[in-house]
Amino acid sequence: MKKLLIRILVFFALIVVMNWVYSKWFYEKDLQKYSDIVNLSRHVVEDSCRIIYLGESSNHTCGWAENDKRKISDMIWSYFPDIRCGDITKDASHAQVYYNMLKIIPKESSVETVVVTMNLRSFDAGWIYSELETALQKQLVLLKDYPPLVNRFLLAFKAYPIRSKSEWNTMAREHRERERLQFPYDFEWETTGQWDNAMMKQGVVDSLGQRDDALTSLACTYISTYAFLIHDDNPRVKDFDAIVDLCRERGWNLVFNLLAENVDKANELVGEDLVYLINKNRDYLVQRYGSLEHVVLVDNLDVVRDASFIDRNWTTEHYYAEGRQIIAHRIAMALLHNKFIK
Amino acid sequence: MVFNSIEYVIFLPVVVLLFYLLPQKSRWLMLLVASCVFYMWFVPKYILILFATIIIDYSAGILMEKHADDPKKKKTYFVISVVSTLLVLFIFKYLGFVNDNFVWLCQKLGLNVRTTVKIILPIGLSFHTFQSMSYVIEVYRGNQKAERHFGYYSLYVMFFPQLVTGPIERPGNLLRQLHEHKEFRYENISQGMRLVLFGLFIKMVVADQLGAYVDLVYANPSDYNSWSVMLAMVFYSFQIYGDFFGYSTIALGSAKLMGFNISDNFRTPYLSKNIAEFWHRWHISLSTWFRDYVYFPMGGSRVKFGRWVYNIMVVFVLSGIWHGAAWTFLLWGFAHGILHIVEKSLRDRCPIKETRPKWLNISLDIIRVIKTFVLVTLFWVMFRAADFANMCDIFVAAVSNFGGGEQLTVAPSVWLYLGLFILSDLLLFNSRFDIWCEGKCFILRWFIYAVFLFMVIACSNVDNFPFIYFQF
Repeated sequence: MKKLLIRILVFFALIVVMNWVYSKWFYEKDLQKYSDIVNLSRHVVEDSCRIIYLGESSNHTCGWAENDKRKISDMIWSYFPDIRCGDITKDASHAQVYYNMLKIIPKESSVETVVVTMNLRSFDAGWIYSELETALQKQLVLLKDYPPLVNRFLLAFKAYPIRSKSEWNTMAREHRERERLQFPYDFEWETTGQWDNAMMKQGVVDSLGQRDDALTSLACTYISTYAFLIHDDNPRVKDFDAIVDLCRERGWNLVFNLLAENVDKANELVGEDLVYLINKNRDYLVQRYGSLEHVVLVDNLDVVRDASFIDRNWTTEHYYAEGRQIIAHRIAMALLHNKFIK
Repeated sequence: MVFNSIEYVIFLPVVVLLFYLLPQKSRWLMLLVASCVFYMWFVPKYILILFATIIIDYSAGILMEKHADDPKKKKTYFVISVVSTLLVLFIFKYLGFVNDNFVWLCQKLGLNVRTTVKIILPIGLSFHTFQSMSYVIEVYRGNQKAERHFGYYSLYVMFFPQLVTGPIERPGNLLRQLHEHKEFRYENISQGMRLVLFGLFIKMVVADQLGAYVDLVYANPSDYNSWSVMLAMVFYSFQIYGDFFGYSTIALGSAKLMGFNISDNFRTPYLSKNIAEFWHRWHISLSTWFRDYVYFPMGGSRVKFGRWVYNIMVVFVLSGIWHGAAWTFLLWGFAHGILHIVEKSLRDRCPIKETRPKWLNISLDIIRVIKTFVLVTLFWVMFRAADFANMCDIFVAAVSNFGGGEQLTVAPSVWLYLGLFILSDLLLFNSRFDIWCEGKCFILRWFIYAVFLFMVIACSNVDNFPFIYFQF
């Protein structure tokens, strides 16, 4: 027994020493190699930013022929030329990534207000089970709250979801086949999967009454993307809750930027049933996050019209300058009205 | 579940703890459930195929024993069992290959045949079917009593440490041990943990780090100069060795934690002086399987030269096909067979003179070891290449691009890992890491553990490199 006890003690002593060695000589190199998103947060701290904007591709995507190629965040900052501001933009990111980026920023930093992108699509199974998740989750492992050696251990032993594209797609499909849609009136289909299949069979007809395959495919994409209901157990809800708690703990003001979706197109291609679900989800988010202290939710969901969306055959939140400007203006006004700018 | 995953890091201690906490009579059930969980972690439905094989071979064993006095009936049950097991293997592993070649042939003959077969190979199918077959053969030969307990037999086929990549066990070793009462012994835990640690080191630090360079070159061989291509060929030799040896060592260690001794699968194969010795040291459980169940029944080496050549070629070509349903694997087996025959013939004609001075014998041995390594490395190209065209590209790039092309830049740390691996291989010549550690003082042992543990955690390749032999 004594022999065993000595070995256990030696083992733990070794772990402590190894953690010290790893933290001192290896950790930073690994961070740069496997979790370089850490630099995005570090930059805003180094630049002594007071307001930071966290977003995904919607922040920087612009039309190739546009003269005004400014990001949404830059457009916001133009309202506050005397204040140091910065953005953390990472494509395909979502609330969990934002939370981890914010966690890196120390309480003692000059940050006062954070604007966090809230993308309605990110609550959908298609994004939750996106093939990009493997790479994103891998980047977050070294940023966990454990000692650096433990984080490296988790990374070495692949403590993140490793799945192929088809496995992710299957998970999304199964989720859509499982989740029940709820309407206050009788609705023909019980799940998103059924609705999607029905649309594919039925098809969208053009002005001549002919089936338009391209439009049908787009309509199906709208259904599979927006036909869902956000519940309390949605992983994104938990992540946004965690962001709220973190900001409260750090004493930061928080602005949620509920991004504009192409509601016009949804209505045109699929109809009011889909718009009902979109609005129902918006109501859920406004209700949950709109009335908290030091938290403002800017509801931009339907403020951008169809013509301002760049992508015509896919569901994205990529806007031309006009759309980006509308969103930026509303965020800037929210910052001013709520006295988040001192 | 794979050995180098966080799931296994949790799974293994839980299983070992339960194993020692439970009474002997319920251990088999716990191990069987654990093995099912382990296997179903990959693709759950494939367990049905595994159970189908188990039921057929379990029943065949009992029926053969029951009709021991009736050779005709006994043989019928034996044939049914072997054919059905091989049929499962054929459908899942070779049907697609046969179909593709059939379609190709028909198209060459001007026939319009376009059938497609897309079946995903269940993980480890070749391993557990061979293990199951070894039981049936042993029972048929009367060397093994038929197992009456379905649970123990299922566990023999499904024992999780060696379920998906071997070693391919014999009933005389594993099935017997499953019935034994295993007491908790500190030595078993200590040896088991050493083996697991060493296995993780060679898989995660050595094999996976080398794998990154190998993948780069094999993906676009013409982009690299000949030196880089040759380096990638050498790296692959160590990658596949580290990968498979690593897996087998973790398997050995995992079993040892519960007091089970499963067979060694490797014995420093790259220190072999000829190809015959290489096969005595590489994937030993498969080599001995083919030796005992194919080569010896065909007459082995106690036949005329022509028949012996035939026997050797059959065994090596079968071994090649066993690895994978592709012409490259067949060619790989064929090449090994030819080399084996050539070497044996030369040895018979020019026997080693014992009167030579010792230094000369040692020098010649070193040359022989290098020669064997070079040839085996060349043959691994057939094994690794994605297809026939890729194999040709590699060989062409290795000899025709000395002047141009990109130079493969290898991180200094990777040379260090490879150097450590080679050093450990030399130190462990005809030994095993857990046994080698026994004689060392406490401080040296723990220093080695600390170095390996630190490297596994801090220096391993974090990209996902599945175990190479999983595909078989």
